[in-house]
Amino acid sequence: MRLLLTLVLAAAPLTAQSVHARLEGRIPAAALPGIDSLIEQAAAENLPTEPLVQKALEGGAKGIPVPRLVNGVRHGLVHLRTARAIVSRTAPGQNAPDGDVAAVAAALARGLDPQLVERLLIGAPTPGEPPGPVLHAAADLVAHGFPADSTADLLRTAQQQGLHGARLLDVAVAASHELQREGGRTPAEALARVRAMIPNVPVAPTAYPRAVTRRVGRGS
Amino acid sequence: MTLIDSRLQETLDGERDPATLPAELRDAYARLVSAADLLRHPPAISVADRVMAEIRAVPPSAGRRVAGWLARPRAITLRLRPVWTLAVAAALTAVILLPGGQSVVPGAEEGIAQFVGHFPGARSVEVVGSFNDWRRGALSLSDEDHDGIWHGAVVLPTGQHEYMFVVDGERWVADPLAGRYVDDGFGVGGQNAMLVVRP
Amino acid sequence: MTKPAPRGSPLVVSDASSDTQVVARILGGDGEAFGIIIRRYEPGLLRYATRMLGSVDAAADAVAESLVRAYRHLAQCRDPEHLKSWLYRITGNRCRSHIGRRHTGDVSLDDAPPVPDPSDTWGALERGEQVALVERALAVLQPEKREAFVLKHVEGMSYEEMAEVTGARIPTLKMRVHRAREALLEALKELV
Repeated sequence: MRLLLTLVLAAAPLTAQSVHARLEGRIPAAALPGIDSLIEQAAAENLPTEPLVQKALEGGAKGIPVPRLVNGVRHGLVHLRTARAIVSRTAPGQNAPDGDVAAVAAALARGLDPQLVERLLIGAPTPGEPPGPVLHAAADLVAHGFPADSTADLLRTAQQQGLHGARLLDVAVAASHELQREGGRTPAEALARVRAMIPNVPVAPTAYPRAVTRRVGRGS
Repeated sequence: MTLIDSRLQETLDGERDPATLPAELRDAYARLVSAADLLRHPPAISVADRVMAEIRAVPPSAGRRVAGWLARPRAITLRLRPVWTLAVAAALTAVILLPGGQSVVPGAEEGIAQFVGHFPGARSVEVVGSFNDWRRGALSLSDEDHDGIWHGAVVLPTGQHEYMFVVDGERWVADPLAGRYVDDGFGVGGQNAMLVVRP
Repeated sequence: MTKPAPRGSPLVVSDASSDTQVVARILGGDGEAFGIIIRRYEPGLLRYATRMLGSVDAAADAVAESLVRAYRHLAQCRDPEHLKSWLYRITGNRCRSHIGRRHTGDVSLDDAPPVPDPSDTWGALERGEQVALVERALAVLQPEKREAFVLKHVEGMSYEEMAEVTGARIPTLKMRVHRAREALLEALKELV
């Protein structure tokens, strides 16, 4: 146990160093102490730190003034804490995977109501399924004016009928298509039509070039 | 929030005679009626000419439709990607495949992200986002035809990514065609476009 | 505005014609008759969209695009006697989409005039100042409640018409209107 603790403690400063190295020169020097502190807090609370690093890099790239930049990262930390609390409640006794916490935090940042998030996570037909797709589908539907209750019901129906992952995004796209048909349907009409299609909701149209020549990574 | 007395609600719903309202509710009744009255003046503008001009227009060719849609000022962003973006994307193949270049095929946990934007007169358009550490100069779009339509496609990890276009090195624009947006959290209503890459 | 009836359409319409007559005329080939529809409903739609979006410019775009869409899909208006609800529904969808894009659902106050000194009593304010205060109070309502109040008390719709426009059930709409009234009264109390 002591050896493990030593290894963990040894790893922490190394991680902090690598984060600091990523931020140095990319954000104003005056913002570094505040942001370093927030990221260290997140690490100490076992929250994913990458979303906060990204937010800091974003603010630096956009030239956001230091106080608002630090506040933006602090905002991100608040979302992560709320997200972890939600994930812990919906899967008590289990470690909240970083990816799940980050996905829930992203959904909260998109304005999804925490109660709706919790409802979507609880009783998901496939335990352990990554929450990102259903949350983004819900956020898409709510952004288009569909009521929260109906959104949750529709997506639960879709999941129960075997739709998962990106197919849930197709449900949201289909609903927004239906809303615009015939000059304008009501949300209730649009949802009823999509519900009748499930599980054969059309795949959302995309067109890919046959090949691309670039792969983008963080180092590029 | 204080609940309004049900007698006041009934009166405002037209189910009760206002004369029967007790004195202590009449001020609130008058205030709400007055508020509605104040809101009732319509804006002193008209869109009649604009609408009639559009419905009188002869149905244009596909090319003109593209140009017309793109040129519309302050358009409310459509929720759906218009068909023209698919046509542009289909044409990307010849552009993206460089002579002698190796093509990149997405892996199992990757997908292709396409970026298209209309910025007539722009000298450069780049994409900056969470997939490239918000680093400038990493992903530039191209406009070979000089028609103002800038485009590019890249392989990205599946999942969500936030991004913006940077036009001429200084103007940050949330992709009008993204369909998904998120508050950037920096406090002045700024928004990032959001992309969900599918495998 | 009158025009000789196109072949196949027996109607000659004017501003006094019913919606059903005007729609029949338009579907018979007289697109110019759509001007009657615009004159009849544009003020209300602009008012509704302005209250929803908080910006006259955004409202003008939303209403213009909604009217063009309505013209193009007129054949699918199942009951021309309810044309008004149908037009408001199209415009409402447009506005909700715009609000959804803005993510917060808040109304922009870009176009709002300066708020008068809140220490003035209501009666002492100029009408323009009163309008500004009420607009500000409306702007902070949640979009669903704001819409419900506007449709009920500004556009003068019945709950049945509101149900056609929004697709929500009448009990839900009543609750939204009731909550909107409460919120508006609270907001007005704080501002004056």
